[in-house]
Amino acid sequence: MTTAFRIILRQLALLATVALAVFMLMKAAPIDPIDAYLGPAIATVGPEQRAQIAADWGLDQPAYQQFLAWAAHILRGDLGFSHAYNVPVAQVLGDRLGPSLALAGLAWLLSGALGCVLGALAALFAGRWPDRVIRLYCYVLAATPTFWLAMIMLMVFAVTLGWAPVCCAGPIGVPPDQVSFAARVHHLMLPLVVLTLFGVAQIALHTRVKLIEVLQSDYVALTRTQGAGALDILLHHGARNAALPAVTAMLASVGEVMGGAILAEQVFAWPGLGRATVAAGMKGDVPLLLAIALLTALVVAAATGLANILYTRIDPRMAAR
Amino acid sequence: MKKTYGTPARQMRSLCFGAALAMATVASAQGAPALVLAIGGEPETGFDPLLGWGSYGNPLFQSTLLRRDAALKTEPDLATGLQLSDDRLTWTITLRDGVFFTDGTPLDADDVAFTFNQAKAAAGALDLQVLREAVAIDPQTVRLTLDRPWITFAEAFFTLGIVPSGSYGPDYGRHPVGSGPYKMVSWDEGAQLIVSRNDEYYGAASDFAQITFLFTGEDAGLAAAQAGAVQMVAVPAQLADSVPAGFHARSVATVDNRGISLPFQSPTSIDGQTIGNSVTADPAIRRAMNMGLDRATLIDVALHGHGTPAFGPADGLPWGGADDRVDYDLPAANALLDGAGWKVGSDGVRAKGGQRAAFALHYPAGDTTRQALAETAAALLRPLGIEATPTGGSWDAIRRVMHTDPVVFGFGSHSPYQLYSLFDSRRAGVAYDNPSYYSNPQVDALFAGAQSAVGLEASYPLWSEAAAIYGVNGDNVWLWLANLDHVYLINDCLDIGTPQIEPHGHGWPITATLTQWRWTCD
Repeated sequence: MTTAFRIILRQLALLATVALAVFMLMKAAPIDPIDAYLGPAIATVGPEQRAQIAADWGLDQPAYQQFLAWAAHILRGDLGFSHAYNVPVAQVLGDRLGPSLALAGLAWLLSGALGCVLGALAALFAGRWPDRVIRLYCYVLAATPTFWLAMIMLMVFAVTLGWAPVCCAGPIGVPPDQVSFAARVHHLMLPLVVLTLFGVAQIALHTRVKLIEVLQSDYVALTRTQGAGALDILLHHGARNAALPAVTAMLASVGEVMGGAILAEQVFAWPGLGRATVAAGMKGDVPLLLAIALLTALVVAAATGLANILYTRIDPRMAAR
Repeated sequence: MKKTYGTPARQMRSLCFGAALAMATVASAQGAPALVLAIGGEPETGFDPLLGWGSYGNPLFQSTLLRRDAALKTEPDLATGLQLSDDRLTWTITLRDGVFFTDGTPLDADDVAFTFNQAKAAAGALDLQVLREAVAIDPQTVRLTLDRPWITFAEAFFTLGIVPSGSYGPDYGRHPVGSGPYKMVSWDEGAQLIVSRNDEYYGAASDFAQITFLFTGEDAGLAAAQAGAVQMVAVPAQLADSVPAGFHARSVATVDNRGISLPFQSPTSIDGQTIGNSVTADPAIRRAMNMGLDRATLIDVALHGHGTPAFGPADGLPWGGADDRVDYDLPAANALLDGAGWKVGSDGVRAKGGQRAAFALHYPAGDTTRQALAETAAALLRPLGIEATPTGGSWDAIRRVMHTDPVVFGFGSHSPYQLYSLFDSRRAGVAYDNPSYYSNPQVDALFAGAQSAVGLEASYPLWSEAAAIYGVNGDNVWLWLANLDHVYLINDCLDIGTPQIEPHGHGWPITATLTQWRWTCD
């Protein structure tokens, strides 16, 4: 009970710190939210109208009062109003969370599974050509920016080969409520492949190193002298040991996958949270950016918490410490 | 157009040939195909005219009181008659009869009055502060009362889409109801907007029953054109030469200008703030720069040739100065500076009375076009013996120096108010208005006369006349550099007719003549 209370208290402190840091960064950023909102209309809008906008947004108040007002709304369960989209923040999140979850969530699961398999393969063939190929692939991928990979894939598979659609979550010119499931899957594939490829490298490399260590250990040498095959060793002695770094890497990569999704969404015009994040940053939309930052912090913190729990399940010795 | 997928084999095929599926959707419409445009400019706040939607082009879903044709001449739209009172304070507007919103309700004077009153009260990008109130006199007549004579208020007649008073609410921007040429089918935010032709529209009918606007980034838009999925894409001028097969590039003339502000006063202190610049305050320096800057070379180098020389903020518009231009003449410019006492020093830079002809030239650091213009202009000013030092910074930083140092600005609008905000002494130092602190009673008087003219078109000659005073044959308040071309890659089958001279902002302005676009292939 006290542990749970301590965890919750720690999470709340974390969220409050993130919120304050993001708010202060936004206030220090060289962006005038009203200028950003007006765009080209800046030349036709006079000072009276600007004052009207500032008053409506609460920007005429001192910064600390703006933050306190925002915090009071949050405590009442109101995420505030997004000026960049002219709707409540909750509505922006509600509309965009689904597509982002489908893309980033699936990519995360697939890259985890694929990463483990590739890492295990590399470890089994350590030093030989399959290992070298997998490592080369991982190093190249780890050094590749997501948006660049996304653009290359788009050029090859959508433009040159014509296998994948060029954009969006559904066919061009078809309203979202008339898009079939098959078409949805078809539009998800290319961004999903890009994000999965992107996430694989870290997990594969971590799994490989740990598994090589396991395979060189005394107890594996013993089972080998007793006549156990490679697959037998891998499944019964290697998997559990190698799972630890894999799980850690996978849960730690949640933040990276989310960051990658933001960029991939830009390239593929995927209607998720990524574009909202960019718009919120560029337009100085503080309530929206704070909400997204809190959500991200919550997800990353939850993933770390989950990793802690899974540790003790995978390796009971951890619980004793 | 719903597709069903019966057999697994069919499903597999559809997965593999999704591009073909998109093409089939396009081809299945009757007559002209369903048009797909990737011109960018998604309005994140929605399609609400009261918050500024439509001020840079066709409001699409709503209709306006007036509109402009390709030559920017005024045409009636909802308003069949407009009258401005002798004291220039009251507009009386007669409305077209028998106009209906797409929800079936009639459009009358109440809706127009509501739209104007509500737009004034809204904290959006539309400034109607000069309006006192709008009143419906009878179902076909509206009266708008102003605080002061203000002819540029009439600009709202061209841009403010009329919304239904009965159903307008907070979610209007996402579910717009209007009386314009199109209806919204769906808006998948961040991806695409689908509209269909409003068959009840009172005006010329569009050739296209369905139009899709893709809101991809520039790269994805170009990729979509190469894949044959769109019929028109707006591209940055640097990409104008990579034209996909079956497409042609079209450069549209603009007043999307870039120019360098030149602080007009000698350094003085106003309200504790220093303004002015001792170099650019000299008329000889300003005149010599306007004469001695080779704009053709500047455009070739900085814009890869995709622009036209600019001499004022409204080149080619009815309220710009027709004779407001100057020929490039480096020897004459140098002679002028010699005559004014600016002597070339050992470092090649001129000086006069201990003051070097040098200044910092600021540009927003994130804007590569302005950076290229600043760097190139600085190089082209060297032969004059003038040393401009390009300095990149944030708008925040620029705001602090823009009254003492030259800055690369960009303007361009379909309203003569632009001139007022740039050159009227009463706008000096107000937000980004008149950053040069220019002040000339003659210009102020002409502008005041224009603002109290009998009508918007009647005011054009007065605005135009002021160019002889503020422009390159007068005070040379600015060093205007170039009007950027807006480049569109267009399918060879799509005829977009004659576009307007476009304002600042790439994309939506091209749709001003959308109802006149035609599909020329079978």
